[in-house]
Amino acid sequence: MSAFFDQYGFLMVAIVQQALLGMSLWYPLMAGQLSLASIGFYSLGGYIAAIMGTNPWFAPWREALGPAIYPLQWLIALIVSALIGLAVGIPALRLRGIYLALATIAFVQVLNVLVLITDVTGGAVGLFGIPQPFVSRLGYIWFFGPLLVLALIFSARLTRTVAGRSFMAIRDDELAAQAMGISTTFEKVRAFVIGCALAGVTGAMSAPFLNTWNARQSSFDASVACLAYVLIGGARSIWGPLLGAALLVALPEVLRPLKDARLIMNGVVLVVACIYLPQGLAGLLASLRRPGKEAGHA
Amino acid sequence: MLELNAVSRSFGGLMAVNDVGFSVQAGEIFGLIGPNGAGKTTLFNLITGLTPVSCGDIRFDGHNILGLPPHRIATAGMARTFQNIRLFATMSVLDNVRVPMQAFTRAGLLAGLFGLPASRSQEREMLEKSMALLELVGLADKAGDPAGSLPYGARRKLEIARALALKPKLLLLDEPAAGMNLAEKGELSGFIRDIKQRFDLTVLIIEHHVPLVMGLCDRLAVLNFGRLICVGRPEEVRKDQCVIEAYLGASHAAS
Repeated sequence: MSAFFDQYGFLMVAIVQQALLGMSLWYPLMAGQLSLASIGFYSLGGYIAAIMGTNPWFAPWREALGPAIYPLQWLIALIVSALIGLAVGIPALRLRGIYLALATIAFVQVLNVLVLITDVTGGAVGLFGIPQPFVSRLGYIWFFGPLLVLALIFSARLTRTVAGRSFMAIRDDELAAQAMGISTTFEKVRAFVIGCALAGVTGAMSAPFLNTWNARQSSFDASVACLAYVLIGGARSIWGPLLGAALLVALPEVLRPLKDARLIMNGVVLVVACIYLPQGLAGLLASLRRPGKEAGHA
Repeated sequence: MLELNAVSRSFGGLMAVNDVGFSVQAGEIFGLIGPNGAGKTTLFNLITGLTPVSCGDIRFDGHNILGLPPHRIATAGMARTFQNIRLFATMSVLDNVRVPMQAFTRAGLLAGLFGLPASRSQEREMLEKSMALLELVGLADKAGDPAGSLPYGARRKLEIARALALKPKLLLLDEPAAGMNLAEKGELSGFIRDIKQRFDLTVLIIEHHVPLVMGLCDRLAVLNFGRLICVGRPEEVRKDQCVIEAYLGASHAAS
């Protein structure tokens, strides 16, 4: 058993970590907004944690706080991400559909360039030797696990609150939502900021987990991967991002015996899932549980 | 209640609504008729703020509502239905009626997440009111179904219930009888009178079906090619030369 955890501990924690990034896109999608900004806020949160963990300026803090520095990093990442999310979201969410996605991609690129030319972020080399609170990789489940549970509870509650219903109304019909008294701009920004804050905290937890932090954390590929978790897992279910991340993070490992052909298999699985699972894995599971009822319902 | 003054809207070179002015009195059922493409729905969109006005002036309940965002106009007491039915299709029938009520709630996101008493009593109140409205339109037993799964007639009714959930003073109905048979149309007429009494409404209605409009409306406005060609009581409008020309063509009018 312990050999199993030694070998797959990193993978299991990575699934939870990536699921959190998927969830951060799930909130804007709940309000019908396609954003790819999460990876930028993930990067931002990571730099906050990395700088607080390695920069000599913070040495007295680290000494005084001990392990309590970690929750402080999360809190600061949360606040900074939410504020920047607000500043980015208000203009960006005036755009719709694909234009919002493009604007958020642009935001991530701008952030990457800023990171490369700034000294405190370590430029192109990045920051390394970030202090690690756990000896084994599996230990980080104590960071990401509770956050995922909180995010899932939050999502489940959200669908039953005033705000969640407003999000879903906008997703179903934005024009009708406006005509029914919903301030669509306010609600869209709110959904976006919730996602940004979650991505920021996930990033702050990830910096010690990965030990180093650099601009490659927020690549375009990683952006698209986050979106794929939600779409493959199912955007209409709170379990979607977790299911999607579990499949997509584990898949390359499972397919490892295929050597280079695994990339092809990986792609095939994605395409098949897109075509045959419009509601994602979560939709598939729901229809298996209630046979027949969901069949004709797209 | 509602006053339009020289309202115009152009799309490119097309004057969809051209210099239209009329006023709707409180407590009236006011009909808006005209041939296809006359600009009726555009006028609804202008009144509800979904489309900005090119020029002119719209006053609602004594206030200028020009330039207000649609959700502010909605909460000021103006609710509408749509010609092509725009429900929140994946949400439950109950949630469709509950969403407009949320505009008047006070307890915030955190209160809702933690199930604080303020949010709970608010949710209970919304649930009661929503069920009462669904009872009224005969959809209470479908409360849990997704709105998109309802048959056509039920969707029309649900849209009216959803509009009523905004507690409007003015209800705008865009072709509520479209696609209904004669019996259903007669029933709808009675239903509109009934909700008007019960909720103390003023009603502005777009409708093609002439007998329904003539029987239901206190006054009518007729649009043709974006222009207002006649306003008056149904019997006056029926005799009006311009209206006959617009509907039947000039030669018919002459003969």
